[in-house]
Amino acid sequence: MKRRQFLHYGLGALAGSMAAGRFAYAADKLKVGVLIPLSGPAALFGPSSRNCIDMGIADINARGGILGRQLEALVADAGVPPAQASQAALRLWRGRHAEVLIGQHDSAVREAVAGVINGQIPYIYTPVTEGGGCSKAVYVIGETPQQQLMPVVPWLAEHKKSKRWYLIGNDYIWPRKSNEAGKQAIAASGGTVVGEEYVPFTVDNFDASLARIRDSGADSVLVTLVGGASVGFNRAFASFGLPDKVLRLCTLLEENTLLGIGAQNAQNLYSSSGYFAALTSPDAQAFAKRYASQFDAAKAPLNGLAESCYEGLLLLEAMAAKAGSLKPEAMDKAAAAGVSYDGPRGKTVLQSRYTTKNIYLARADGSTFRIVQEFANVPPGQSCAK
Amino acid sequence: MDAALTVTLLNFAYQGLVLALVVLGLGIVFGMLGVMNMAHGEFLMIGAYCAVAAQNAGLSVLWGAALAVPVCGVLGCLTHYVLIRRLYNRPFDTLLATWGLSILLRKLVELVYGRGYQNVEPPVSGGISVFGVEYPGYRLFLIAAIVVLFAILVLWYWRSSTGARLRAMIGNPTLAQAVGIDTNRLACAAFMCGVISAGVAGALLAPMVRVAPGMGLDYLLNSFFVLVVGGLGSLAGLAAGTGIVSGTQLLFATLFDQTSGYLAVLGISIIFLWLKPDGLISRR
Repeated sequence: MKRRQFLHYGLGALAGSMAAGRFAYAADKLKVGVLIPLSGPAALFGPSSRNCIDMGIADINARGGILGRQLEALVADAGVPPAQASQAALRLWRGRHAEVLIGQHDSAVREAVAGVINGQIPYIYTPVTEGGGCSKAVYVIGETPQQQLMPVVPWLAEHKKSKRWYLIGNDYIWPRKSNEAGKQAIAASGGTVVGEEYVPFTVDNFDASLARIRDSGADSVLVTLVGGASVGFNRAFASFGLPDKVLRLCTLLEENTLLGIGAQNAQNLYSSSGYFAALTSPDAQAFAKRYASQFDAAKAPLNGLAESCYEGLLLLEAMAAKAGSLKPEAMDKAAAAGVSYDGPRGKTVLQSRYTTKNIYLARADGSTFRIVQEFANVPPGQSCAK
Repeated sequence: MDAALTVTLLNFAYQGLVLALVVLGLGIVFGMLGVMNMAHGEFLMIGAYCAVAAQNAGLSVLWGAALAVPVCGVLGCLTHYVLIRRLYNRPFDTLLATWGLSILLRKLVELVYGRGYQNVEPPVSGGISVFGVEYPGYRLFLIAAIVVLFAILVLWYWRSSTGARLRAMIGNPTLAQAVGIDTNRLACAAFMCGVISAGVAGALLAPMVRVAPGMGLDYLLNSFFVLVVGGLGSLAGLAAGTGIVSGTQLLFATLFDQTSGYLAVLGISIIFLWLKPDGLISRR
């Protein structure tokens, strides 16, 4: 054999054995593709979401993994435009061999990702959502508008005399769908809608809106503004002394946003959500305590969006155990039969595409939340029958 | 006077004056040096974080504004020395360089304070009664403070010898140099003034707005519109621009909705760029 030939074969064999080794490695670690915002406006939730994923992976691995395999997270940025995020998802799946996706990002990204994945691997979508996720092998954990509003609005009507509602939100699909559900809940509770308004994301001055709210004679405002818009609105709202007379109910108000609003502006401010860091059940307290001991809670405070990533891993564990496989068909079958698990939020039951779960109404108390009412086993109010 | 009208007029005064304060720094730098400073919003953000730092140290926002003067002064001087001075007469390169600087500043603040929102408490809380309506006390304070600040600025610009040298430099830089004015030093001072005014604006506004590393972008866009409409390089242009932009915004937002307000400002800016590209009051 010539020397050159020897080298050629030798290197070939070496490369072959390396490839085989890599393949064997890929087969025994279960790679979980994680899509969370690391850039863009929602990047605020990137670090805390990452922390919750790390906690979930460590917990499940300590229990022996999923289907006997240890988990490994592959994180990609979902804070980019939908087309770009779907390419990132494709790279996780095809390029890095993720066998399941967990996503905490906006619904435009969800639709794009579901489009490229096309039901070929399971995809668990975790944050607050307007619904509509009916693609094959997509499982939606997040709170729907029906869950956040149907039990809460009548409770406020009864206990806080909320009868005249003003609706204000950013101008995109989630606030509009939320207000559709809100209007039903308000009508059912005997109230009326005295105004409805959608503002662009760029608006940072709410004077005109506040004047309208004052003139409308509203006693309650349903706020579906997000992030910085919510901070700006709530600060201005309080500076005009409106909280003395008018209650605010927000459906995307978590711990970070409340910190920005500030304790002095948080009077008569309510939030409806499936999770608060202030939940008092033993499971939730243990979870929050562990989070605080492992991570810098000052820079990445625990919040509902981040915690939903942990719930996503718990749901994956429960579904895989029931289905006995990660194949989309088996997972869909398990989902159709119903899968339940217990997590920091309490007992959650997935039926087909959506979950039935507990919803909590909390009042801002300084810069933290205080739970004022728990609504158990609230149905999602969504169906995927076509 | 009708209560609703009073509130609307106060809102107009507040929005216009705040916008004028925010644009001032951008206007100084563009008008005097011909430099488009894309990091203007970030200097404002740094000022707001000065207010956060003051609050964390147990001091009021006004100390934050005082702290913003040396912090932004040093930052402005450094920026001028390292970037601006080397890129005179290369407007596109300056644009890119200051854009890069803005990203760097955002990331630096993220490193220190994290990405989250900060809450700055106003030194004056609650409302004060004006013509029979309750209006936020801190807003009234800001209205008064900005009026005083601008009065001092106008007097200084037209009466002081530095003001005269500045006017000479803007009028004809070569001739100013020839008569012995150190235009390099003057340019550095003008840039520092621009940055300091942004910082002070940020610190003063911090109790009223959202404070986060990305907040600077909120202010850059409206500031551009003001410069487009008002014209560059004069206080009269600044006043005209802020009056028109914030007036249009408020009028349309009040009569229709916020989207129309935004659209109307965009429309007006396009019309000005198209038909009157030098703005209402142009010096050149």
